[in-house]
Amino acid sequence: MDYLLHILVMVALYAILAGSFNLLIGFSGLFALSHAAFFGVGAYTTAILAVGYGLPFPWPLLAGVVVAGLVGLAIGLPALRVGGEYLVIITLALQVIAVAVMLNWTSLTGGTQGIGNVPRIQVLGTALDTAGRFLPLAVAVAALSLWIAWRLGASPFGRALRAMRENEAAAQAVGKNVVAMKLIVFAVSAGIASIAGALYAHYIAFVSAVSFTIETTIYILAMVILGGTGNLSGSVLGAAILVVLPELLKFVDLPPDIADKLRQVMYGVILIVMLRLRPQGLLPEHDEKRARVPAGLGGDGLATLAPASPADGAVTVEGRGLMKGFGGIVAVQDFAIDLQRGRIIGLIGPNGAGKTTAFNLLTGFLAPDAGTVRVRGEVVSGRAPHRIVRAGMARSFQDLRLFRKMTVLDNVRVALPAQKGDRLLHVYLLPWVVRAEERANLGRAMAVLRFVGLEAKAGELAESLSYAEEKLLVIARLLATGAEVLLFDEPLSGLDPGTMESIFPIVRKLAQQGKTICIIEHNLDVIRGLCDWAVFLDEGRKIAEGTPDTLIADPVLAERYFK
Amino acid sequence: MDLALQLLVNGIINGSHYALLGVGFGLIFGPTKITHFAFGPIFAVAAYVCWAAATKLGMPLAAAALVGIAASAAAGVLSYLWLYRPFERQGSSHLVVLIASLGLFITLENAIGIVFGTDTKVIADLSPDIFLWGPVVVTSIQLWQVAALALIAGLLAAFLRGSRHGKAIMAMTDNGEMAQIIGIDTVRVSILAFAAGSAVAAVPAVLILFKEGATPHMGFVAVFMAFVAVVVGGIGSFRGAIIGGYAVGIVENIGMWEIPTEWQSTIAFVVLFLILLFRPAGLFGRALR
Repeated sequence: MDYLLHILVMVALYAILAGSFNLLIGFSGLFALSHAAFFGVGAYTTAILAVGYGLPFPWPLLAGVVVAGLVGLAIGLPALRVGGEYLVIITLALQVIAVAVMLNWTSLTGGTQGIGNVPRIQVLGTALDTAGRFLPLAVAVAALSLWIAWRLGASPFGRALRAMRENEAAAQAVGKNVVAMKLIVFAVSAGIASIAGALYAHYIAFVSAVSFTIETTIYILAMVILGGTGNLSGSVLGAAILVVLPELLKFVDLPPDIADKLRQVMYGVILIVMLRLRPQGLLPEHDEKRARVPAGLGGDGLATLAPASPADGAVTVEGRGLMKGFGGIVAVQDFAIDLQRGRIIGLIGPNGAGKTTAFNLLTGFLAPDAGTVRVRGEVVSGRAPHRIVRAGMARSFQDLRLFRKMTVLDNVRVALPAQKGDRLLHVYLLPWVVRAEERANLGRAMAVLRFVGLEAKAGELAESLSYAEEKLLVIARLLATGAEVLLFDEPLSGLDPGTMESIFPIVRKLAQQGKTICIIEHNLDVIRGLCDWAVFLDEGRKIAEGTPDTLIADPVLAERYFK
Repeated sequence: MDLALQLLVNGIINGSHYALLGVGFGLIFGPTKITHFAFGPIFAVAAYVCWAAATKLGMPLAAAALVGIAASAAAGVLSYLWLYRPFERQGSSHLVVLIASLGLFITLENAIGIVFGTDTKVIADLSPDIFLWGPVVVTSIQLWQVAALALIAGLLAAFLRGSRHGKAIMAMTDNGEMAQIIGIDTVRVSILAFAAGSAVAAVPAVLILFKEGATPHMGFVAVFMAFVAVVVGGIGSFRGAIIGGYAVGIVENIGMWEIPTEWQSTIAFVVLFLILLFRPAGLFGRALR
């Protein structure tokens, strides 16, 4: 009986670990394989404070959360600079270093001996010294920890995390501060993992570095992959399966050493088989039923998002003397541009003329070597992209960069401006504020989708859209930022003329409502049909500007264009 | 001063070992772009097969070494065909392939432990010559480690520059998509890269078996040192991997002067961490996109 209860305690502890790990790898796409180190930090902090200083539960646990949160921030730093495989390697290295510290900082950690005699947790004078007595506490704490993780994942902040996972630049382009998001999710994930460590230390009454090695990280990783990335219920299921399954080996008469190795083989094989046959895990992130959107939403809301202002032609964006070189190559030189409210300005020129670079300079994705950008008189050059979005200028990408594994609705919803739910303070302490905002934002997002004609697709994943629909979603997402200045990078390329014609009125209507619009486009028919003014760029310089007709009629420009 | 000299020599010897690992790993990573964690246990396979051939079958050492190298090359090719290739065909991301590779890593490492046990396997009657050069002591195996690098690097350079297959590997390292467009059979080149890279790594594995013996866990250090060498030197450059290997070997050994021994194995990880953090393109490498 005690044995069964022990297994349940371990399921509870590993559910905490798998859930918190899922926040990092599943929700945020940050493959930082050092989760066992956070687990260890929690366990060691608890052991040291409880044994060395006699602190009673829950103080060592709380201290562990703080310490692990700080360690999480430190381990999160590399994630600001490198991603993908590099992050995996760098964090595996950190995992090794962490274990080396646990083993070698003998005065603090007891070295290879570990720390024994960690006092049991006392509740109402009873020591929780058996699995049965410990289980209720373990389950309660696990439930609380998973609630914290779930709340984060289900909040607008969690939606922003998933957007960052899908495409970091696009998340920035809808106004998300990815640096802050990464650091926060690292700290939260590490803090939650340390809770499991604290419980573990009290429960086993002994901590030693061997419990927190890479093998443990891979073990937890297998739970997350098995259960399903981006789905916390999946992590609980994955933890349950991978704690219980190896126990079956106990019924086979094997030397303990072999049994342990067989367990590891099992995790490895499960990882491979899952990735091969069901990479989304047992419980996938996307649930069609839950994603369904009730009909009849979004009748209004567009007005509050984008209050129509007079299309008065006032200058809203001023770029002056912008320069950018890469190595020896000058990509953009002495570029000046004025964008005006209510007007559609085309940016044209041959391939490699520097059009996209010009957009990158305007929107902060590249820092100009010289020159300034003003939005409504305010200097924005030098700011991070998300701050320029908040100042009122947003851009789309030539290669779309949709959040492919998110629903159409969420692609738009995540882009809505000034969301209180992006802040943890609101998520945890003022949930009703977030809930009200979410209701309003659902309406606004649906209004945007209705505006471009995608409301019927709201509950579908972006990756299931047709190409034309993807292009519409790009427009919708850009519109949802609420920015006054919209920079479109080839919004119509690759579309057939019929579809193209159907998008024209959308863009025109935006201009009439007082948006400032700039479009990069190769198709001269589009420029002629849509733009009030065109700027011709070649070899990084502005060669000419004028009405589309005069530019297109100019034989010198025509020669440059078609050279 | 004598100590410093000895540490420097040790650094060069270990550096040769790491450089070979780096070259082997780079030979696979360059053209295939697969972060091949299972490189580690496949390295261990070479040592264990060599050990079994020498002690269980009584083969002469040189023949046993060749068997070990062949086994490693075969295991490398199988890992590609059975594990990585299906993922490639499925269009999985690099990250998914990497995680699968971690899965293979942990599976193989523990399978080796189950089959051979966890004790250190040594070739008992091996007594390397010991040379005293002034204050410096080296063994014949250590000299072999240095010579192996020189020999393999030379052969590899000739192969990569001179032969059609070698050029195909270089082309794919440079730009896989372009290589495919100009008609290079990228699957065959990948198979070749896995065979060659695993065989190259098998040589230091066999030498380590002669020097220190084999343990199931030996592959872990090997794959990380290969990473460190490649990352320090800059990805996509064999010269960089060699320089990187030497840099790590020397830093690690000179570090012993000041740093307590138990931290020695940590030095390389700290180096890896710092370089990836501050110079992700490596000290000598081309900038990465």
